[in-house]
Amino acid sequence: MKIRSTTFNRVLLGVVLAVALVVPLLIRTNQYNLVLVTTVLLYGVLATAWNIIGGMAGQLDLAAFAYLGLGAFTSGTLLIRWNVSPWIGMILGGLVATGFAVLVGFPLFRFKVREVWYALTSSALVEVLKVAFVMWEDVGGPVERYLPYYSFSLYHMRFGTYIPYYYIMLAILVIALVVNYRIGRSKLGFYLRALGEDEDAAEILGVDARACKLKALMIYAFLVGATGAVYACMYGFIHPNFFSGARSTEVAILGIVGGMGITYGPLLAAVILVSAREFLRASLGGQMESLYLVIYSVVLILIALFRPQGIAVMFRDAYRKLLSWITGDEHVLEANTPGI
Amino acid sequence: MDTVVQSLLNGALMGCVYALITLGLSLIFGVMNVVNFAHGDFVMLSMYFAFFIGSMWGVDAVFTPVVTFPLLFIVGVVAYYLIIDGTLRQKYVTQIAVTVGLMTFLRAITQLMWKAQPRALPYSLIQGSIHIAGYNIMLSRLISAVVSILAIGGVSLFLSKTWPGRAIRAASDDLDAASLVGVNYRWTYALAFGLGSALTAIAGGLLMTFQQVDPTMGVRFGLLSWCVLALAGLGSIPGLLISGIIVGAAESLSMTLWDPRARSLIVYLIFILVLWVRPRGLFGRK
Amino acid sequence: MNMSSKPILQVSNLTKRFGNLVAVNNVSLQIDGGEIVGLIGPNGAGKTTFFNTITGLYTPDEGRVFFKGEDITGAPPHKICKLGMSRTFQVTKAFTEMTVEETVRVGAYNRHGEDDVAEKVDEVIAFCGLEEIRHQKCGDLGLAPLRRVELARAMATEPDLLLLDEAGAGLTAAELAELMEILRRLNREQGVTLCVVEHVMQMVMGLCERIFVLDAGELIAEGTPEEISNNPRVIEAYLGERAIR
Repeated sequence: MKIRSTTFNRVLLGVVLAVALVVPLLIRTNQYNLVLVTTVLLYGVLATAWNIIGGMAGQLDLAAFAYLGLGAFTSGTLLIRWNVSPWIGMILGGLVATGFAVLVGFPLFRFKVREVWYALTSSALVEVLKVAFVMWEDVGGPVERYLPYYSFSLYHMRFGTYIPYYYIMLAILVIALVVNYRIGRSKLGFYLRALGEDEDAAEILGVDARACKLKALMIYAFLVGATGAVYACMYGFIHPNFFSGARSTEVAILGIVGGMGITYGPLLAAVILVSAREFLRASLGGQMESLYLVIYSVVLILIALFRPQGIAVMFRDAYRKLLSWITGDEHVLEANTPGI
Repeated sequence: MDTVVQSLLNGALMGCVYALITLGLSLIFGVMNVVNFAHGDFVMLSMYFAFFIGSMWGVDAVFTPVVTFPLLFIVGVVAYYLIIDGTLRQKYVTQIAVTVGLMTFLRAITQLMWKAQPRALPYSLIQGSIHIAGYNIMLSRLISAVVSILAIGGVSLFLSKTWPGRAIRAASDDLDAASLVGVNYRWTYALAFGLGSALTAIAGGLLMTFQQVDPTMGVRFGLLSWCVLALAGLGSIPGLLISGIIVGAAESLSMTLWDPRARSLIVYLIFILVLWVRPRGLFGRK
Repeated sequence: MNMSSKPILQVSNLTKRFGNLVAVNNVSLQIDGGEIVGLIGPNGAGKTTFFNTITGLYTPDEGRVFFKGEDITGAPPHKICKLGMSRTFQVTKAFTEMTVEETVRVGAYNRHGEDDVAEKVDEVIAFCGLEEIRHQKCGDLGLAPLRRVELARAMATEPDLLLLDEAGAGLTAAELAELMEILRRLNREQGVTLCVVEHVMQMVMGLCERIFVLDAGELIAEGTPEEISNNPRVIEAYLGERAIR
């Protein structure tokens, strides 16, 4: 029986989704593993969102946890003070993060301002927000601010177990992937690709470089900010240490190593690298926490030097070979859909 | 009022050292259009080297650059050929990303090897302070500023009078205009990277006479040098010195008048403000 | 369709300097709607700089540029494109990782939304004879097809004025003839005004109704092809001693 490639793809996608849905139920007694997979999903979300600003718009953003932290603090503070549900906090957190992003991006995306300045600014943004929130005793301060505890409250997004957070993260991940995919096929996606190829030529074809980059940044910041609200609920507190430069760099590394042209690339990198990191942390303990950063940075440099398109491309080529063997369809090998 | 002037003085002196650090960054950026994200961490690295040389061989921090300058030069050149040279043909994001990788690597390695504990050297021979017009100036800061200015002057001479120096300047000038020329300037890139990194050794040695080092120094000097670079713009060395002094003074004032923790906030605010209002910098040509 | 012979582009006293070098020196000219004009001059005369300055890639130091009556001096390139001016580049700036079809699509989005952009793309590809290579990556193309792709993507933006920077360089006689035919049809059928920077004299003389001559940043002559080829200043500029400069 000849299987068509599109059918096979759909079936595979379905299987992956089904597995993803079932995983937490299989390991539900092991809290540690639950946290692990949820963390993998979290970084999957961040890296996939990052792909919009990094892969598509070509900006090396190092502020993922700046936007996450802003979302977390917005939602968390609203919850603590005025009992605003984090479900609403997600939206507001996303908006606050987006607002900040625009403040930063607006001057820096001007025509002819080199991209490196955005990278530098975003890198510094995280560190500075940390200091600012430590100093802002009213909202932040040096001590954790705990969110009100409930053993199970949908309104407050607090549950006694990690399982619901897993599903929330999964849902956000799916949204992020879909957004990624849709943008890739839209006018914005084409414009961003053109900008990445040659900014002068793109501008002369009517592409407003600044507007496009800002749009990409805003979508990314909103997604990450909204995720921040969930992050706060997962941990049960908010603290200026959320603004972590090292973790923001990790997100960028995942995006680059995964592959900036392929929608699921960053997710793939997240699955591999974050699992490895958590494994290291479990076996070697906190003392060796810097070790995984050493590994991450070496991986990044190696990928940048030898496989700049990222690991997803290798994965995709291998998959295509498999697919053409199964379906007997040679055309699969040359498919040229953007983003897949 | 007294405290304000005192603070300004201290800050201005520090600013000269910042300018020296930034000069290294500017050399690299001007020639290669790549900002070395790890530059602040090179400062930190040279401070650590100064510490170990100082404590193992009993050498005063002030003299450590004799060893650390060539050492950092080699580190810079090696880093260039190992990491950066291979990415020159690639997307800009990738080029910046490798220096981010280098930065992450250095920070993580120093954390692993030397832990978070700050290290400091015993008092240098340039200790003590002098009094001018009722203000107290620490000798170590004064000498650091003077040496920094001399070093900056030396680099300026190097760039205008020596052949390799002029090659570096030519490579920076050619950047915008002559992609048509296509001459291979790779060795000037390596030289610029090595020299730019080596300059941090001088600053590092000077800093160790009155400061301590820990793994977070990289973040601090990174932000400072980017801010000074943004303020100064590319192409003017005196402008770099002035910008360094401005940033140093502002940082010092913010710590005195507002909050000691606020130093990075002010530096960042200046950084953002400059990029908003005058991205070319105060003295920049492009 | 374009209008009558009202001026579509008016440049007055345009000057652009790079440090001490005056690349464009007080140039004033006017192009009427529907014309095909040529801009020629020896190497380094400032032709590309002139193009770059009126299309917004450079900001002029002095002078003004009026397009369709509107002052576009110093406006960003994408705005100028929206108003109806587009161009090709001397050194092709292809979107190497994108296919021909995708490249044209980028241009087509200028005036079309998701609903009808595909139609426009098909139209332009057919017009420029790119059907056979529409799914090939631009990075894999040879010079002649690449030139046509550059032309196609600029055309897709539906300009009223199209500037071509040495589009004919490096082409064989057959390829050149093909290109000229496309340009003539563009001008005749769709009323697009063309301004052509060229060294290939065959293309200039064969296409252009009027020619401007630049030398060392200055406009030294203006006229029909016959007038220009007999103009002593022009002849001297091309043959004259460059060593003095």
